[in-house]
Amino acid sequence: MEHYLHSKVPLLEIKNLETAFKIDGNYYNAVDQVSFTVERGKILGVVGESGCGKSVMSLSIMKLLPKGAGRIRGGEVKFEGKNIEHYSEKEMNKIRGKDISMIFQEPMTSLNPVFTIGYQIEEVLHNHFKITKEDARKQSIKLLRSVGISRAEQIVNEYPHQLSGGMRQRVMIAMAIACQPKLLIADEPTTALDVTVQAQILELLKDVQSVNDMAIILITHDLGVVAEICDEVMVMYAGEIVERSDVRSLFKAPKHPYTRLLMDSIPKMDVEEEKLGSIKGIVPSLKDMPRTGCKFANRCPKAMPECTELKPVLAEAEKGHEVSCLLYESSKTGEGTNVT
Amino acid sequence: MEALTEKNTNQTPSKPPKNMSPWAIARRKFVRNKLAMTSSVFLLIVMIASFLAPYITTVDISRVNLGQMSLPPSSEHWLGTDKSGRDVFVRLLYGGRVSLLVGLACTFLIVVFGTIVGSIAGYFGGVVDSVLMRFTDFILNFPFLVFVIVLNAILFGHLSGVWVLIVVISVLGWGGVARLVRSKILSEKENEYILAAISIGCRPSKVIIKHLLPNVLSTIIVQATILFATMIVAESGLSYLGFGVPTEVPSWGNMLSTSRDPDVMQNMPWTWIPPAIVLTLTILSINFIGEGIKDALNPKSYR
Repeated sequence: MEHYLHSKVPLLEIKNLETAFKIDGNYYNAVDQVSFTVERGKILGVVGESGCGKSVMSLSIMKLLPKGAGRIRGGEVKFEGKNIEHYSEKEMNKIRGKDISMIFQEPMTSLNPVFTIGYQIEEVLHNHFKITKEDARKQSIKLLRSVGISRAEQIVNEYPHQLSGGMRQRVMIAMAIACQPKLLIADEPTTALDVTVQAQILELLKDVQSVNDMAIILITHDLGVVAEICDEVMVMYAGEIVERSDVRSLFKAPKHPYTRLLMDSIPKMDVEEEKLGSIKGIVPSLKDMPRTGCKFANRCPKAMPECTELKPVLAEAEKGHEVSCLLYESSKTGEGTNVT
Repeated sequence: MEALTEKNTNQTPSKPPKNMSPWAIARRKFVRNKLAMTSSVFLLIVMIASFLAPYITTVDISRVNLGQMSLPPSSEHWLGTDKSGRDVFVRLLYGGRVSLLVGLACTFLIVVFGTIVGSIAGYFGGVVDSVLMRFTDFILNFPFLVFVIVLNAILFGHLSGVWVLIVVISVLGWGGVARLVRSKILSEKENEYILAAISIGCRPSKVIIKHLLPNVLSTIIVQATILFATMIVAESGLSYLGFGVPTEVPSWGNMLSTSRDPDVMQNMPWTWIPPAIVLTLTILSINFIGEGIKDALNPKSYR
């Protein structure tokens, strides 16, 4: 039975997720009609500019949205076939940290400054298992070793301020994998770290992923990171998915103008350029978002007159490569949307 | 020049050893603060002497002794006697018991209640926050003195003397702490470690008690010491006016209130100067301790 489930039901299935924020009494969608699935043991990269809804989407999955300001307006979040969208806080607490866990962007502030490292890792274990203090301590030392911290016995008794950023991010990863979750959401785990440490942390993420056979949703604005470790990529703009495919075909032939511009803004070693490519303008704020047509139209170099009127649909332009842009016939008709 | 360098080297903060908890660092800094330590010792002596008063002296404090009225200090009565012939030194000890009890009990009740209200309001926000904070505003808007006097009159007879005052002051006093704790929690809960704590499956109660309060504790402790001093002053002030603890119970405020009589004020200074001095020194030392704790808990100051 277990095997049957494993083969059929995707680990995480999101359908038409809509998350809105309240501004001046009105709700505006920060995540708009997002649908995707994450398979077991796969790494999905989510790319986009600041403010495009990547983090909000991940917080929605964990139901960690700031109280009062943001709320999930519609859609389904199915984890192992169960819709966790309607779960109460109590039921969510059983999942959080155990089945789904999360790593945050800022390693400097994501550990509580008044507790020792060991205490914080053990807390996850105590939250979800009946475990003695001694066992929890042993387990936390083991976890720290597994994330490549050599002085694990000493580190468990140290405080966050005594560790470097890279070390803290390792501790965060140790906390996140403590209960061997099936899904790990990493929200820009390497953004606050310097490049050499970044590479180590990515390597580590890949290692723990293969050892524990978990799925990772890696949120980043760094296409380099995506190319390095992801299986699948999803490009987001203004709360919508504009392109989705496996890593290879996205990098080989990006389809959406936005994705192309993102790629152009990566510095290249082999090409001598006067100036690095950039995308003019910024993501419009939630209130100023275009209501009709393509949301990227006003910044798009290839915008056509109909772009501001007709809304493109995310559809397969090529096998396994979905895009939402009127340059492609599939997005006009919406044909192929049900082929996921 | 030489003197300057010497001074500089003396002042160079000796960095605390690396493997210390924030609390251990704070304790170390506090112990090195001479003023705060002297104050602590003084306060400790006053407290011990007051609370052990029944074991130090065997004199009956409430008995009026007509044969020994208004005696100046002597070897028999160290600080003389008052108009009813009661030993001033003994009353000073017993008075400390009451004044300190009122101070400690009020501080405890106010801090506990204020922290509960403030942390719940700050953490949950929204409607809960609005309701609790409007209630707090309501309490804060009460004219303190008037209500102490009225409530004192209503509760009198239902509770024993001192506890009436403690309950009344505490009921009216928790608003400030609630506001302070709420504002601290509001800024502290924005930190990512709180999100991280929720993301590993901590219940709200656990997030508040285990993750938020330890980070706000330093502020609460400093506030508590200031409150302690304020509450002793409040007790003395109310008792001096005659609205505090019942007159037959000795307290520093009640002892001071005898000086309202011009005759006592002019001719019997031994009855009111000692409580005035002890009261002043106690409050001063509490404030110094508060300052010391504040310094010790401030990571930017090295002593």
